[in-house]
Formats: sequence, C-alpha cells, structure tokens
Amino acid sequence: MTIVAQSPTDNGTPTHELAAASPWSRLTRPALGLLLPVTLAVGWEFIVRMGWSSGRLMPPPSVVFATFVDLAKSGELQRDTLVTLGRVAAGFACGVAAATIIGAAAGYSPLVRRLLDPTLQALRAIPSIAWVPLFILWLGIFEASKITLIAVGVFFPVYLGLMGAIQSVDRKLVEVGRAFRLSDVEMVYRILLPAVLPAYVLSLRSGLGLGWMFVVAAEFLGASEGLGYLLIDGQQLGKPAEIVAAIVAFAVVGKVCDWLIALAAAPFLRWEDVVRQD
Amino acid sequence: MLILERVGKTYPNGVHALDGVSLGVALGEIVVVIGGSGSGKSTLLRAIGGLDPANEGSVVLDGERITAPHEKIGIIFQEPRLLPWLKVADNVGFGLGGRPKQERAQRIAAALKRVGLADKARVWPRELSGGQAQRVAIARALVPRPEVLLLDEPFSALDAFTRADLQDHLLDLWADAKPTLIVVTHDVDEAIVLGDRVVVLCPRPGRVFEEIGVDLPRPRDRQSAAFDFVKRRVLTALDRSLARTVTDAAAEPKAEAGAAMWW
Repeated sequence: MTIVAQSPTDNGTPTHELAAASPWSRLTRPALGLLLPVTLAVGWEFIVRMGWSSGRLMPPPSVVFATFVDLAKSGELQRDTLVTLGRVAAGFACGVAAATIIGAAAGYSPLVRRLLDPTLQALRAIPSIAWVPLFILWLGIFEASKITLIAVGVFFPVYLGLMGAIQSVDRKLVEVGRAFRLSDVEMVYRILLPAVLPAYVLSLRSGLGLGWMFVVAAEFLGASEGLGYLLIDGQQLGKPAEIVAAIVAFAVVGKVCDWLIALAAAPFLRWEDVVRQD
Repeated sequence: MLILERVGKTYPNGVHALDGVSLGVALGEIVVVIGGSGSGKSTLLRAIGGLDPANEGSVVLDGERITAPHEKIGIIFQEPRLLPWLKVADNVGFGLGGRPKQERAQRIAAALKRVGLADKARVWPRELSGGQAQRVAIARALVPRPEVLLLDEPFSALDAFTRADLQDHLLDLWADAKPTLIVVTHDVDEAIVLGDRVVVLCPRPGRVFEEIGVDLPRPRDRQSAAFDFVKRRVLTALDRSLARTVTDAAAEPKAEAGAAMWW
C-alpha cells in the first residue's frame, strides 16, 4: 500500500511540474525525500560497525547489499522476481479486464448497475484473503489459485474507480456532444473516454498496488519460487538479510511498475489542470 | 425562418415552465429573450435547440420540425464548456467531424483568427481567461456555419468590461454570415445592444408578456438618449411582468398573517 500512497505526489505531473521548477529545486526536491531513509541506513550501519548491536535480526545495509548481490549472482533473485512479476501481470490483466468491462457497463447502464452493483459491493466487503482456502480447494495450490486471488484484489479498485468516473462525467460536456449531434459511439470515444481516463489510470495504479499486496499473500501459501517464497525461506532458515533483500526487491519492482503506468498514461493526461505541489 | 407555435413545456417533476409561446423569427434577425428568474428563458432556448424538446406545440425551422439537435442550429452556453482534453484548435473544430483534414484546418484557423485568438491554437483550454474561453466557444459554434445560433446568457459570467467587448465582437461576427441569433439574457443593456427585438417573458409558467422592437441604428451607443428610452421601456415591461406574480405571491402570506391575527 505504501506504493500507492506515495505515488501521486512524485509521479502525478512529471512534465509541467518539472518544467516549472528551477534546476536547483529539481535536484533538491527528490534529495529531500532521500534524507530520512539514507540517514537511518547510515546510522544503523554505524551502530552495527561500532559493535553496539549485533545486527543479527536487523542486518545493516552492507549485509543486505551483499545478500542481494549473492542472490543476483546465483540467478535466484532474477528468477524469483520474474516469477512474481509474471503472477502479478497475469492477475492484474485478468482483474483489469473483468473490472473494465463490468465497471464500464455498470457506469453506463443504470439497469446493469442495479443488477450487479449490490452483489459486487457485498463481495467487496469480504477480506480477499478469506477466499484463499476456497480458491485452493477449487483451483489447486499452483498458479491458477494465486492468479485468481491477485485478480480479485485488482478487480475492486478498478471496478469502483471506473464506474464512479463514468457516473460523474460532467453532464454539461455530454450536452456539448449532443448539441453537435454525436452518435452513441462517437459520444463514448470523443467525450466519455477522455473524461474518464484520469480516474481510470488512478484506479489502475491503486489496483496494481493491491496486486502486489496479494501476490505476497498468494506466495506465502505454498509457493516454491517467487519473491514471497524468498521471504518465507528467509524466515524458516533464519536469514533476515534475505527477507530484507526480498522486501527491497518488492519495493523497487512495485515502484517501477507503478511508474511505468504513470509514464504510459502521461501523454494522454497532459491536459489535466493539476494543482502544483510545492 | 424559425417559427414557434404555442410551445409549452412541463418537466417530469411537474414544473410547468413554458405555456403557449408563439414567435416567428426571420433569417438574420437578432431576437433577445429576457425575463425574471423562472420565466422559462433557458427552457425555451433548449426547446428550440432540440436539447429538451417541447411537449406542447412545435418548433419549425424552414419547414422542418425540430425535436433533436439539428445541424442548422448552433448553441452557445453560459459557460464555455470547452473540452479540457482538446487543444483550443481541436475544440473549435469539434463540430467538423466528417470534413476533409485540410478544409478543417483552414476553417479552424480562419475562425480563430476571426475571434482574435490565432496565437492560442495550440494551447490547452485551462490556460485561457474566461473571456478568451467564451470566444473559443463562439468560434466553435460558428465554424459549422449554423443558420440559427442560440446563446444562453453567454456573457453573464464575465466582468462588465469583457462583457461589453464580447457583445460588440459578437455583432461583428454576426455581420459576416448574418445567422439568426436568439439570445437569452437577464441584462437589459445587453438586450438592447444586441436585439432587433426584445421579447419579455413573464414567469410561472413562462409566457410572452411583451415584444419590444429596437429600432436603433448599429453600432448602438449605450450612452445615447434613444438607447435609454428603449431601456426604460424594457425595464417597465420587465417590472410589470414580474409585478403580477409578486402581488400574487405577496397576497398569500398576507392572508395568512391576517388569519393568524384573527385567530
């Protein structure tokens, strides 16, 4: 969830926010955000080096880095990352596809909304992890149940975001479309689609954040590879450095994925009148 | 020729907004509709534009009954309503969907030049001032060359100076192709600057109260005595159109107050 919570501030408006800023603040602004984590890391390293703490349960950055390098050298890190990435991608794709179709239908047609929304809202109230035993019974302990769990996690934020966005499209702009006699199809791609896009992208990003959360849950339950497996492995073998290395890998890959969505959407959202964040 | 015949409108919630409005508007004429709040000015305009068709009577343009938005009718709303995801030029060209690219580009460029915003073609709508945005909206409505242009309090959200400026500008643009203009406003000065004829509506339900011809040479001097004379006539008509309902409304609480005293 941290991924989601952080992202709008630093990725929301890359182009004109940077263009408006002076070269100096372009450098200092990210640096300011790094100050706290770097200070903590250096401080911890120092404490362990001085022998004030053994650093056995919380390994210092140098040890984590060494573990990272070892895992990368053995190819384990790459393999686990790819496996996890594959699961998130598959679950995200399924969840987004379902949420987009159902969300669009429910946003567009009151009948569909009345028909489906109460059930979906009821299902949403169930903590998604509660599905796990059922999914395992139905789909086995291999990929299918994991991908389904991730898809369920991704589905709800995207469904809600898209349906809400379609319902709140400015009726005055729809009326402009009517005044210019747009057909239903034209109305969708000339008015509704562009109007809905910002909220949709935001919901994709929060959906992806949940996807990363659920992949860990899925991999805790009987996986033999993947970053989540690395976490369990580190716990069972008493290797905290491996756990921290896996956590760092999650953070990096999650952040990069989020950034890729934001980057891909940016050219279509340049028109947005966003409040500058200083 | 635009003919309204006994146009009436009752909304689904039971509000009777218009009742038996009849009006004939010649091609190229500028008719200003004015009235107090609740007099159905906007309802009338939306009925003519086919956005909210009337449920009594008929709106006929050149022998064709209007029940839905029509290509010969353009609409300008109170707000510019530019599409924020399109650059200014694409907003102006919004109604030129099916035309060849080159023709589109030419007509957009000409229209933007005509409203004095040629340098803003590649700008987002959010970067425009209120007056500029409304000029783009005017260009957008004029580019498909409508025969009738409907304006729903088009300048009411602007400051007085910009408003006067845009009124003159609108007349200037009107002189190019002389479409029929139907302008709804609550600003008496605006009504007299623009209109060949001012139609005063009275409220609840909206009816034509009085029609006042404005026989002043253009461009009209807002400071002249003749202007003032017409203005007084329109104000008087407005006063009287409202007074009737005011006394009606005032009569009831009075009666109640009396009853309370008796009691």
